[in-house]
Amino acid sequence: MVLKSAFSRRKFLSTTTAAGVLAIGTPLYLRPDRARAADGLAEGMVGGPTGFDGAERYQYGPDTPEGRAVEGARSLKASGKAPERIVLGLSDGSIGQITQPFPAGAPSIKDLWEQETGIKLDIIGVPSGQEFTKVMQDISTSGGAFDVYAVEWNRLGDLAETGGIVNLDEYVATHRPEWDDVDRGYVGGAKGVSLLNNYRGSTYGVSLDGDFQTWNHRTDLFSDPKEQKAFADKHGYALAPPKTWKEHDEIAAFFHRPDDGLFGSTDLRNQGWGYTNWYQRYVSMASPNQFLFADDGTSLINSDQGVAATEEYVKSLAHHSPDAISWGWPEQYGNFASGGAAMTCAFSNLPKFLDNAANEGSKVTGKIGSHIPPGRVHDDGMVSRSVLWLNLSASVSSQSAHPETAYLLLQWLGSSRIYSWMTANPGGYFDPFQLSNFADPLVRETYHDYHMDVVRETVRRTVPTINYPGATAFHNALDENLVGALTGSMTSEQAMQNTERSWKRIARRVGEEKLIEAITANKAAWPDLVDPV
Amino acid sequence: MRRSLPFEFLRYAMILLIIAISLVPTLWMLSMAFKPIAEWSASGAALTWWPENPTLDNFRFIFGQSSSELIVSLERTAARPIVASLLAAIVGTLIAMTAGTAAAYGLSRFGKGNNLPLALIQLRLFPPMAVMIPLMIMWSFLGLIDNWFGLAVVYGIVTLPFAFWLMKTFFDDMPREIEDAALVEGCTRLRVFAVITLPMMRPALASSALFVFIMNWSDYLIALLLTTRDWVTIPVYMTSLSSSMTGQLYGAKAALGLIAAIPPVILGIAIQKHLVRGLTFGALKE
Amino acid sequence: MNGVSVKEADIAVLPQDNAGSEEKRLGFWLTLPAQCLVLFIAVFPILMQLYISMTDWSPLDGIPWYRAYELWIGFINYTDLASDSRFWAAMWRTFLVMIVCVPIQFLLGLGLAVLFVDEFPGKRWFYSTLLIPMMVVPAVAGYMFFLLFQSGGPVNDLLSLFSASPVKIAWLSDPSLALVAVMAADIWQWTPLMFLILLAGMISVPQDQQMAAVLLGASWGRRFFTIVLPRMKTIIIIALAIRTIEIFKIFDTLYIMTGGGPGVATETISVYIYKVTQQDLIWGYVAAIALAILIVLSVISAIAISRMSKGANAR
Repeated sequence: MVLKSAFSRRKFLSTTTAAGVLAIGTPLYLRPDRARAADGLAEGMVGGPTGFDGAERYQYGPDTPEGRAVEGARSLKASGKAPERIVLGLSDGSIGQITQPFPAGAPSIKDLWEQETGIKLDIIGVPSGQEFTKVMQDISTSGGAFDVYAVEWNRLGDLAETGGIVNLDEYVATHRPEWDDVDRGYVGGAKGVSLLNNYRGSTYGVSLDGDFQTWNHRTDLFSDPKEQKAFADKHGYALAPPKTWKEHDEIAAFFHRPDDGLFGSTDLRNQGWGYTNWYQRYVSMASPNQFLFADDGTSLINSDQGVAATEEYVKSLAHHSPDAISWGWPEQYGNFASGGAAMTCAFSNLPKFLDNAANEGSKVTGKIGSHIPPGRVHDDGMVSRSVLWLNLSASVSSQSAHPETAYLLLQWLGSSRIYSWMTANPGGYFDPFQLSNFADPLVRETYHDYHMDVVRETVRRTVPTINYPGATAFHNALDENLVGALTGSMTSEQAMQNTERSWKRIARRVGEEKLIEAITANKAAWPDLVDPV
Repeated sequence: MRRSLPFEFLRYAMILLIIAISLVPTLWMLSMAFKPIAEWSASGAALTWWPENPTLDNFRFIFGQSSSELIVSLERTAARPIVASLLAAIVGTLIAMTAGTAAAYGLSRFGKGNNLPLALIQLRLFPPMAVMIPLMIMWSFLGLIDNWFGLAVVYGIVTLPFAFWLMKTFFDDMPREIEDAALVEGCTRLRVFAVITLPMMRPALASSALFVFIMNWSDYLIALLLTTRDWVTIPVYMTSLSSSMTGQLYGAKAALGLIAAIPPVILGIAIQKHLVRGLTFGALKE
Repeated sequence: MNGVSVKEADIAVLPQDNAGSEEKRLGFWLTLPAQCLVLFIAVFPILMQLYISMTDWSPLDGIPWYRAYELWIGFINYTDLASDSRFWAAMWRTFLVMIVCVPIQFLLGLGLAVLFVDEFPGKRWFYSTLLIPMMVVPAVAGYMFFLLFQSGGPVNDLLSLFSASPVKIAWLSDPSLALVAVMAADIWQWTPLMFLILLAGMISVPQDQQMAAVLLGASWGRRFFTIVLPRMKTIIIIALAIRTIEIFKIFDTLYIMTGGGPGVATETISVYIYKVTQQDLIWGYVAAIALAILIVLSVISAIAISRMSKGANAR
């Protein structure tokens, strides 16, 4: 790997040094003609990566979000209003996508930004899982260690309330990121933008991720004639990726052979993650959705639906690893890679990492398939739902001396061209979420064709998790009680009752008025798609 | 002392049994450090006790030489965290030992009715987690966040009680006549302390320094909260060793754990002859 | 922690004669660095915690800590604490780990010390080997124990040797067994320290009295309980105190192994405070917890110290 990157970096340097020097020396405004002459950009383009086949897809003209971002950053720089460097706090595993050149011959994202704007990018790795902790530390101690924070999308409300992140409305209006572009932008247009980037009507974040939890299965097991016959004999229907939760549980039970090192399913059951599965089961209990809160802010989980979903969730533990309650996603990925499970539900990047010829440790390369989430049959059709969970989104720190430059970096990174190029890079966690990403050949190569279409369909069926202020506390309360139910220390009824009680307390603390507003905004993003049975 | 044959047999049997049990986790770490990814067997794969295809990849990896495409990316090698850990732990130990020894001597010889001992016990008793918020705010104000010296000061303070109490029991225990004789001959107090008292305390100094060092070297929580990038220590760095390709990089963690055991082991060997004498806490006064 | 209790007046008392005055001064200068360090770490944090513990301040409120008075709530945090079942459960769990681990570590350490008190071939080698766990960084120990206690892991593999069918216990997914696993890790890592201290104490027991007892025909067991153990009283107390204090704060290995889970099954007091600090973010409440612990600990340690100095005077 080192060899490879050193090689490509050298190659990159030799082909583009001239352009870099020139770019830094160029005063104030971009000159398309000169830039093109220097680094071989396609006709009419002012910037973007070069040096590999298809690079023109990621290049941009002057009147694009990327073009405006770079131009804005350069003019700030020229008038002395831009910093020497921007400090970006990022989860450790994501850094590779920004610093490693991809594909062969290309510059890295970091190098390209530095060349085009003359502003250095300084990336601070944060252990994954510690992102929010580090950001809260920086905010509460006035540490000022970062210009840009990248945290889970759910925390946007909490962070906005701290005053620790900048309201980006003004910059959005000036620099026009076009996130809702119908062809290239976010799924769901303005609604999608509002879900991912906004809090109470204002922009506080720029989404850099697409953590729509997606289902995977093992094609080698599902297409094995012996298995197919045994399954059909037992259950009376053909073995195929499950469409309903009932089928899912039966198939998982069928493949559950712990003595042979095979578990039915390894979707997560630990604290912090397990409820993503509970959530999928819960929200599909009604058509089109079973909500967490009513419009007046009362919680709806302490109900027949809540108890039924919890009971199902607890029962499903039977086809998991006995250690499931202590496994996080690293163990999950490790287990699936070693061929230890028939199905799993994970980040959309699982096939990119595990169905990857370069991953010598994976025993499931070429054996992974994807399917849309299991659902439930209601009177008007089938409701199947997935869930948006984690999803890194970047915000500008209020302590940054140069918030506009920091925002411009995010506009550049998070816009459809650069982002497609970045997400295609297998070196990190940033996943596709824009329409242009799903259609991009390079992304489809990294994430696989079979998977990309399923992800797009999953996105259409995805409900957001709690993103209002108090999100962390709401999730923790639910989480602890669900684990309590899993370990048998309380019944499903008790778990739901306890959660409801804690939620009421949290709601009081957050302020009910603020909460109702946020719940309404959150609900606007729920899908109403109902499939024919 | 002569002992019966059955006793000797029993002695060896029991020692070997306890050693066998206590070595399991250590050997597991040792074997893990040399295992290729396929044998880490973290999650469901077959268990291998010894590496079937031993490799040095884990060590190469943490020092930045990834030999396969497997591992996504490693932005930082282990070299800098090792330096950070060494600096913070050594300077922290020096702070604790200097302040602790001085205070112990001062109090043992001249101080009656001072409340310092109590304050120090409380300091050691108190969970550091509980003062982390004010500490973070204070350290940030002083510009000591993500700074090895800031970390060393906290280490010095939280291990100060240990150094103090260990040394104080020894000073209490040391016959004053020796010092008094020297004083009568016209030496100054300071000279007596430097020339006569301290050399006698060598075993105590050595063993308390070892334990203070081990405590500082081991810390995860304080470093987790007070460092961000430049000065993360070994334990904090270790927790960041994971990737989407393979999950937790147990082999790399074990390799780093093995390296991290070297300084305490070297120190332990260096002071081995003092170790037992130095830990009597001076508590066996006649 | 209790910086307030350090009375400078005690040191500055005027001496009667010159020699005494110089000694006092020296005593003052020698203890000064430690005093300063303690004050440095104690004064600001205690005052700040005292202040914000009376407020409902959270970093999520968007105001800096010194403006926390805007959210003044008086003693509500303290009354909440009294009825916070999770806090008391965490306290009890910490206590449980303490009363299980400390005696086991003590008995193992004492037993080993007895085996090592006299010379025998191979002693040095065995002795060094026994100390290894102490040298392993707790963070890596946490990861290794996580693996050891997986249901398909080495611990079950070893247990299977003694059982007819393969053992498949999911240690870390079972609330009560997870606590056992966490305790096992602590016992593994810190029994060596207990052993070392007790061995040091035992070796220092004067041999002449033992020889006299041997000549008088006392059995080994009698000698041990009537001569050796009583003479080790102080060092035993110290050894027990060190481990009790450290276990009260148990965090590193445990947090990496289980994160306090499953659920709250291994949530000790430090883990609880960590979670309230980092996840719930109610920092006014954290301050109240910290101060409550500080007060209780101050009382306990004051009693312990006065007892100890009484004991020392009686000797």
